Amino acid sequence: MDGLLGNLALGFAVAFSVENIGLCLIGCILGTLIGVLPGIGPTTTVALLLPITFYLDPVGALIMLAGVFYGSQYGGSTTSILVNLPGESSSVVTCIDGYQMARQGRAGAALAIAALASVVAGVVTTVLIGLAGPPLASIALLFQSADYVSVMVLGLVSAVVLAHGSILKAVAMIVLGIFLGLVGTDVTTGEQRFTLGISELYDGIGFVPVAMGLFGVAEIIYNLEQTRGRGIVTATIARLWPTREDLRRAWAAVVRGTGLGALLGILPGSGPTVASFAAYSLEKKIARAPERFGKGAVEGVASPEAANNAAAQACFIPMLSLGIPPNAIMALMIGAMMIHGLTPGPGIITKQPELFWGMVASMLVGNVLLVVLNLPLIGMWVKLLKVPYRFLFPAILVFCCIGTYSLKASPVEVMMIALFGVIGYAFRKLDCEPAPLLLGFVLGPMLEENFRRAMILSGGDASVFVTRPISAGFLVLAAILLVAVLLPAFKKTREAIRE
Amino acid sequence: MRGGRSTLGAFTAMVAIALACGAPAVAQEKYPDKPITFIVAWPAGGGSDVSMRLVADAASKKLGTSVVVVNKPGAGGALGHKDIASARPDGYTIGMFSNGGIAAQYNNPNANTIDELQPIAFFGEDPGAISARVETGFKTVPDLITAAKASPGRIKNGNDQPGGSSFIAIAVYEKAFGIKVTRVPYQGFAPTVVGLLSGEVDVATVPVPDIIEHHKSGKARILGVAATERHFMAPDVPTFKEQGLDVLYGSWRSIAGPRGMPADRLKFLEAKFLETLRDPEFVARAKAAGFAVAPLGIDDTWKRWKADDVAYYPILKEAGLVKVREKN
Repeated sequence: MDGLLGNLALGFAVAFSVENIGLCLIGCILGTLIGVLPGIGPTTTVALLLPITFYLDPVGALIMLAGVFYGSQYGGSTTSILVNLPGESSSVVTCIDGYQMARQGRAGAALAIAALASVVAGVVTTVLIGLAGPPLASIALLFQSADYVSVMVLGLVSAVVLAHGSILKAVAMIVLGIFLGLVGTDVTTGEQRFTLGISELYDGIGFVPVAMGLFGVAEIIYNLEQTRGRGIVTATIARLWPTREDLRRAWAAVVRGTGLGALLGILPGSGPTVASFAAYSLEKKIARAPERFGKGAVEGVASPEAANNAAAQACFIPMLSLGIPPNAIMALMIGAMMIHGLTPGPGIITKQPELFWGMVASMLVGNVLLVVLNLPLIGMWVKLLKVPYRFLFPAILVFCCIGTYSLKASPVEVMMIALFGVIGYAFRKLDCEPAPLLLGFVLGPMLEENFRRAMILSGGDASVFVTRPISAGFLVLAAILLVAVLLPAFKKTREAIRE
Repeated sequence: MRGGRSTLGAFTAMVAIALACGAPAVAQEKYPDKPITFIVAWPAGGGSDVSMRLVADAASKKLGTSVVVVNKPGAGGALGHKDIASARPDGYTIGMFSNGGIAAQYNNPNANTIDELQPIAFFGEDPGAISARVETGFKTVPDLITAAKASPGRIKNGNDQPGGSSFIAIAVYEKAFGIKVTRVPYQGFAPTVVGLLSGEVDVATVPVPDIIEHHKSGKARILGVAATERHFMAPDVPTFKEQGLDVLYGSWRSIAGPRGMPADRLKFLEAKFLETLRDPEFVARAKAAGFAVAPLGIDDTWKRWKADDVAYYPILKEAGLVKVREKN
């Protein structure tokens, strides 16, 4: 314990230097801003800031870049809630109830709950990193390809739970998502699939154009149709802040979401996305009145927002202590460290304690800064909904295009937004929900890659999935969840038949 | 900020020279008089990006104009290479070409061939290596060879997807050592290292900088490097040659532009980049980040491209990766 306090003292000494506080603040402000702009994600921003870090000392550089990353997690929920536009895969699930809350005139409450959930999750997870970070990192090394397959299966099953309409349609959407994920170069053989000779498709269809199209653009088309061209109709805003009842419902959801996020965030690849989906499904399953979900349930915002922020902080554990980047943005952070001649890895905490503990301390500072920054902004964001749609809708479309183009400088991806917008509109008309499709789209390729690798490793013996305890455990969880989903549905059909 | 001041300095110097030379020099087209775009066909933050950002930063001072890195990732480098090859050959758009582009020629009909790019300078190479997890008990490359010969296909190697540099590395070693291993593909070096540490593969052909921390901490062991000299980050690891195995392999990076640039501008770029790459301050910086710099001029860079084009072809062919531009 003494050691921890000493380390934290060292960390705060680093984090509280005028320069580092300033850099942390810059990072958080930038992160919030780019989080709010659809499409322009933290990865692009960190990439743009990378050259500047040449001229900063390594700790300051990392503090700033980390601020951009978790700051964007706060901002990311804003467009999901206000205009049904998820900027990245981990905020897809926030759209479901967050947007409904906004339409009921509770946008302010939704935004405040999201910010508070994020700060609680951020602080708790950061303390966890400080207490148990390095030993926790070894969890990531216990997972082999077969285990990842079972995690993905659990993720896909939980996508069925989150749909509030027909189960059959949800399954169909997941499968369609997995199919879309097949496009691109096959990792196992190097073979190209469904690329139609277009080089831009060699790495698969991008997540951002699909999400922008299916959610944002489709919502705009549908909205204009529903309101006969008048644009968004939201209930008048009764109050800006959450009610006591909202907070009472949210807090337990935040705790559960934080736990799930912190655990799943350590796993490379899928962390924040699976965590947010799993958290939502968990809340819906244990809720006394699950029918409230999809219609503006506070828990449906609180839990996934806590989960994705917890997972975003937990990502730093494998990055700092093993040198393993669990996602593109952590890979960029490793790049920033390389520029300064630092190789993240097992030695970093003992060799560079001021770097590790400085980061941990600055993450605590940053989370507090972010909530102070974000709460006053809520009033402003809510006013955005009063902007006449003839300005708001074109602005959303322009930002979507700029954001998507900024990722890979690819015009093909911009055109894909339009394509998926039309597809998304058709889905809306057919009552098919896009969220399960997106989860299938994100997890499908990882599922396939890990499954085929597991098969190569086991020499084609499928029993690895049940003989490895971790894998078997996740499969059992998936099976329980599946039964829990299917039983009520069966009951309903039986009752329907009897009647 | 530092870049800004020296740019200004260089600008003043150039104005001074121009004035000294009198009117005719001013009338002549000055090159470069605007920023140079430097295309990196890989995502920001990776080894290629970091190395080229270091080059761009240092070269800005020598060239007297800023060199702006633009990331255009996708299709194994083919998208970015296309932007370089089809740029106006005025010397204002150049970029990086690495050995990944050699493989792309044969499996992507849209990829540019090496003839469509103009070499400017050779940056250096990451020597190939092979590492084992400690539980295998392998201490040297011959240990691995003995075990692999005893039961072909039982040893599992972690590498990137077919056609990638660590995939070609294991293919080269298998051929040279006369062994057969099971190639297990991962998406990049970092997941491969995780696979090695979690024990699902026995050996991995990732480059030295990606595994060095785990080598030092004793969780993995680098068995050897496929270079003429030992790697500066792992001076305790002998080369393959020291272990009696005559195999060389490395993945390299070079600076290239479109074909058809004016001869004087090409010469100027070659000279300035070589000057940059030989600058001791730059070399020290690159080394700290894990890059060995081995500069070469236009002709030698071209020779290296051609040599590896010839060397990789049979390996790609055997792996079923030759889809277009088939040779007999």
